[in-house]
Amino acid sequence: VNGTFSRHGDRIRMQLRPPEAELLQRLAGELRTSLDTPEPDDPVHSRLFPPAVLGDPVADREVRDLLADALLADRLTGLTAVLELLERGRRSRGRLVVELREDEPLLVLGVLNDIRLAIGARIDIEALDRDRVRENDPVAYPIAVMDHLGWWQEQLLAILDGRDEVA
Amino acid sequence: VAQAAGPMTTPVREVGTESEVSADLPWDVIVWDDPVNLMSYVVFVFKRVFGFPDHLAQKLMLEVHEQGKALVASEPREQAEGHVHALHGYGLRATMERAS
Repeated sequence: VNGTFSRHGDRIRMQLRPPEAELLQRLAGELRTSLDTPEPDDPVHSRLFPPAVLGDPVADREVRDLLADALLADRLTGLTAVLELLERGRRSRGRLVVELREDEPLLVLGVLNDIRLAIGARIDIEALDRDRVRENDPVAYPIAVMDHLGWWQEQLLAILDGRDEVA
Repeated sequence: VAQAAGPMTTPVREVGTESEVSADLPWDVIVWDDPVNLMSYVVFVFKRVFGFPDHLAQKLMLEVHEQGKALVASEPREQAEGHVHALHGYGLRATMERAS
């Protein structure tokens, strides 16, 4: 099994190559900083804390105010937990190996998704025609990162759904 | 939703009309398409948040993917708020509006 994630009994093992571990650490740290010190009109903030009620601005404000603190706290908790997991990892055969237990796979899954959403918001992916993106385009790298993290998510989801082959 | 990180159509948002509605009408919870969330992830979230069986979660995910949005629940306001909260926590675009 050469994947990033593999099941081992009641644990899920995450194995990252050094550049991958550095990338995840950097992206999680950047997102945590961005959420901790939000700037006005930050597209990442708008994407992670989207409208809640349609057709009723007053109710929308009420509901968003109601949810905002808990949503932010949960996101920061997840990011901090993932950064701590990376610190906890051991080096083995050139990889950083982290054993995920209990709710940790879910935390990783959610953080990977938040990071991908944040990257998407920064490059305005909704307005982007991916078929026209060339290799040397400034958005090519962020898109490649999104896809790579998406591949990790797919592996985790397969394990969480029981679709993986037991290691 | 993204199947292989490809582009999707941007959802067309329909602004609900503010009309004289009864306070006891349920609220509709709607999930909107976006180009980042993976199809498998959306199915996983539907099953986790609503306890939907796999076939229903798949059906609703495809509705989001193909039609730009799907009605996933119609319920009292407090429950709708809880579900929107959970869906936002997972990064899905979800809104609630008074059922018409």
